[in-house]
Formats: sequence, C-alpha cells, structure tokens
Amino acid sequence: MIIEKFLNKWILFFLLLIPILGFVLEEPYYITLTTKVIILGIAGIGLNLALGYCGLISFGHAAFFGLGGYVTGILSFHALNSELMFSWPFTASGSSNMLVIWPIVIITSALLSFIIGVLSLRTTGVYFIMITLAFAQMLYFFAISWPNYGGEDGLSIYMRNSFPMVNTMDPITFYMICLFWLLLAVFISAKLINSSFGMAFQAIKQNEERVKSVGIETFKVKLLVFIISGTITGLAGSLYTDLNRFISPSVLNWQMSGEIMVFVILGGIARLYGPLVGAAFFIVLEQTLGGYTENWQFWLGLILILEILYVRSGILSLFEKKLKYEK
Amino acid sequence: MKNKILNIKSLSKSYGAFKVTDEITIDLHFDEIHALIGPNGAGKSTLIKQIVGSVKHDIGSIILDQEDITDLTDIERAKIGISRTFQVSSIIPQFSAIDNIILSLLDKSNKTFQLFKSVKNNKELYLNAKKILKEIELLEKSDVSASDLSHGDRRKLEVGLALAMDPKVFLFDEPMAGLDESGTNMMINLFKKIKSNSPILLIEHDMDAVFALADRVSVINYGKIVATGTVDEIRQNELVRDVYLGYEI
Repeated sequence: MIIEKFLNKWILFFLLLIPILGFVLEEPYYITLTTKVIILGIAGIGLNLALGYCGLISFGHAAFFGLGGYVTGILSFHALNSELMFSWPFTASGSSNMLVIWPIVIITSALLSFIIGVLSLRTTGVYFIMITLAFAQMLYFFAISWPNYGGEDGLSIYMRNSFPMVNTMDPITFYMICLFWLLLAVFISAKLINSSFGMAFQAIKQNEERVKSVGIETFKVKLLVFIISGTITGLAGSLYTDLNRFISPSVLNWQMSGEIMVFVILGGIARLYGPLVGAAFFIVLEQTLGGYTENWQFWLGLILILEILYVRSGILSLFEKKLKYEK
Repeated sequence: MKNKILNIKSLSKSYGAFKVTDEITIDLHFDEIHALIGPNGAGKSTLIKQIVGSVKHDIGSIILDQEDITDLTDIERAKIGISRTFQVSSIIPQFSAIDNIILSLLDKSNKTFQLFKSVKNNKELYLNAKKILKEIELLEKSDVSASDLSHGDRRKLEVGLALAMDPKVFLFDEPMAGLDESGTNMMINLFKKIKSNSPILLIEHDMDAVFALADRVSVINYGKIVATGTVDEIRQNELVRDVYLGYEI
C-alpha cells in the first residue's frame, strides 16, 4: 500500500511534467497523445469502480463513453449551426460551452447508468456481462441508423468546445482541463473506496451473501456504484469528442467496452491509477508496434495472456515488486 | 404467545417430491437457548435458511416479536433483527477481522451510504468493533486479514459478525464446529451471557455443549420435529435415542 502511494506520486509528477516537456521540446503531438491517455484513463477509472472494486463485470461501458461523446457532439453541432435541438415540449438550443455541456453529460450518463443498472443488476455473472453488452450494442446500432448526426460516418464538430477565458484549442490548455478531470476522478474514487460505502461495495465483490446477511441493501449499493462508474466514463467520452472534434458510432461498439476493460486489467484491477497506466501502455503499444504492423493487437493479446497468467495484479505490481526488492 | 420472540408455524419446503422441512412448528422464548439437533441432512440448516429468508418456503408463517415477517426479503429480515452465522464460515476474506465487524455495524449505525467520509476516522465504529472483538477473544488479531485467521478464529469472527448487529434473535448454525476446548468454553460462556438480550436458536452437533447450554432442545429428523423438551426430557426420550443420540448418553 505504501509502495502503491509512492508510485502514484511518481505518476502525478510525470503527468505534470508532460506539458512542460511538450512546451520545451515543441512537440504538441506528445501532449495530445498524453491527453488521449488521460481521457481513456478516466474512462478506465470509471469502469474500475464497478469492475475492480465491486466485481461488476460490465461489458457495456462503451454505452456511457459513447453517450457522453454524442451528447457533447450533438450540443456542439447545434450551437455551431445555430439550430434548435428541439422545440417541443420546450425549446432547447445547443451549446459549445464546456461548462454547460459537462453538467448535461453528467446528468444523461447518470440517467443511462441508472436505467441500465436497474435492469442489469438483477442478474449476475455471465448474464450481467451479456445484458450490459446488449445495451451498448443497441445504442451502437441506434447511432449508426441515426442520419441526423452522421449515422455510420460520425459527426464532426470542427471547433473544440470553449471554456471561459482560455483557448481550448491550445494542446497544453486542453491537457490541463483533462488532467483536472483525471485528478477529480481519482479523488472521488479514493474517497469512495475509503468510505463506509466503499467498504460495503468492496465486501460485495468478495461475499455478497454475507453482506446481505448483515442487513446491507446490496442492490442499492451496486446500483449507486454503477451510476457513479457510468457517469465518470460518460465524462471521459465528452472529453474524447472534444479531443478529436469528432464522434462516431465506433466508440459505442463492444470493442470500445473491451478496450476500457483492457486498460483496467493491464494497469491493475482495483488500483487507483491502474487504468491510467493500462491506457498509457495500450497507447504506447499502438504507437510503437502499430508502426510495424496493422495487426499490432496480436502482440497486445500475447501480453494480456502473459499478464493474466503470471502478473495478475497488473503492470503497477511489477514496479511494486522491483521497489520492494530494491528496498 | 407473549413470551415467544420467534414463532414458526407449519414451515415446509420441498424440492420436487423430497420434503426438506415438513410442517415444522418451533418457537423461541425470550431469554432462552433453544437447540435444534438431528442427523446430517435432517433439514436443520434449510430451516435456518428459511427463517432468514435466503430459501423461500412453500407454506407456513414466521412471526418475529409479534410481527409477521413471512413475506419479507432476507435483507429486510436481517434489518429487523434476525442475525445468523453460517454452517461454513462466511466472512469477507480480504478484510481484516475488525473491518469484518465494522461491516456488520454499518447498517445499524446508518453509515452504509456515507459516501465520502473515511471509515478509518470513525472512532465510534472502531470502538464498538473492538468491544465485540474483545468479547470473542480476537482483539489481538483485529488487524489480521480474515483469510489468514485459523478455522477456530473464523468461527469466532462469524459469531462476532452476528453480535455486531445487536439483533432480536440469533440463529447459530454449528458455531462451535472445529473449535478447541478453550474456544468452545468461550462460546458457551458468551452464549449464556447474550441470551438474555437476544435469545438463540442453536444448531450444534457437540452434544456436551448443547446439554450445557440449552434451555430446550428440539430434535429434527427427515424434515420433521420429532421431539421437543428440556435437556433431561430429550435425554430420556426413546425415539430421540433411536434416531440420533444412541443409547450411550
């Protein structure tokens, strides 16, 4: 635990160093790449709460990531085109202000998490996996068949959404915005894990029958974890749309759910910064091996197999072992 | 009726043609330990599961403290005052002993949905948990991971989890299984002490412990209660000797 805290401090230091390095070396590409890592890391931190700490193996977190992305894209699209989004039962226009978009993303993601959670948490095991997957796939095919917002081709928003008094098109500025959300997601996760509520959901992962027998309403606990988890992932989707200035149905696909799960497993299940480290490793692999072969995921698969067989607690545990040895 | 805290009437459960419990009628008085004995597979643990609500009964009713709880869920029954131990230790393996107890204190102290306040800073919870650990003689092992506890200590922790709920009744399913002599004596003394606050329905195979503790004993065989009485009455009962105790007692 002490070593994990020590590692977390190094990760934080590194994250703060990136924009300085990018500025000095005049390499904005690396800042953008790290921004992507951070956003995917936030998505993973969301899933980690449900999967890592509460044992809810959701294979449908792409639904929240995609919803956050599409809500951002649609609001921005209407704002840029000066069109009303709808005029009944009340009129609503779009917005390109992040301070307006984020609360809407949070509310819609929480609402979708609630709906999916209420229905899927009545099941367990493989049925829970399948029902969450089914919800995400429904949204995926809905997005494909919705021509108003680009259908299969996706939706471009041309301009990154704005934030008062700063230029969000500047890579370092946008990086800092994403870093703020990452730190907030980590802070919320840490607070939850150490609370009595966290004690309840971590116990559910280990022995739900026992938790029920002491009078704790496990369904409500799991539902609340699922809502918080989906909301954090939804917010990551919003930032992802702003990063790329584009959203397409591919972020709602089961492959995206799988990738978010891979971030969590690679970095280390039930570790605060695990998903961030997992996302970083994933992007580094994509950037390096992707230069040699289109089918770089073959190597990712091989690494995953080796990790699951030999280092179940993720990449972070490798550093831990090394530090322990050196001490 | 007034001196009965738990009153079970005609409780039955069948799996196909096999009747696990067959019209069981049993009660638990205030201030008593009522032992339920019988051979393996007689339906004792299934009866406990039906009382706590984890197994749905087919017919019958359960009254707790003059309230009909027949249609309540297992969680609702735990909330209103039924606390149990499991036949096979059921604890939170990666939690320390004290964290297991704290988990059991959460619902009673309305802390389950406290989202952002660190549980480690809640002195009241820790103090209460330590009191219980002292009662079950596990205070020195409070920070030991439950998975690293010996079998006997896990049995004690099971009882500690039940104690923490401060229930109306205890349902103890073989709490002394695998305990050494000092552990068994500790349990006997503890049960004698707590029964005045919360009476105990006790399933136990250790007949010495049963005869030392029980105010009344019921014998179950093939899902039916075949005899109920005081320890002496049960010792002398020919049918009970025949189906369970043997003639050496």
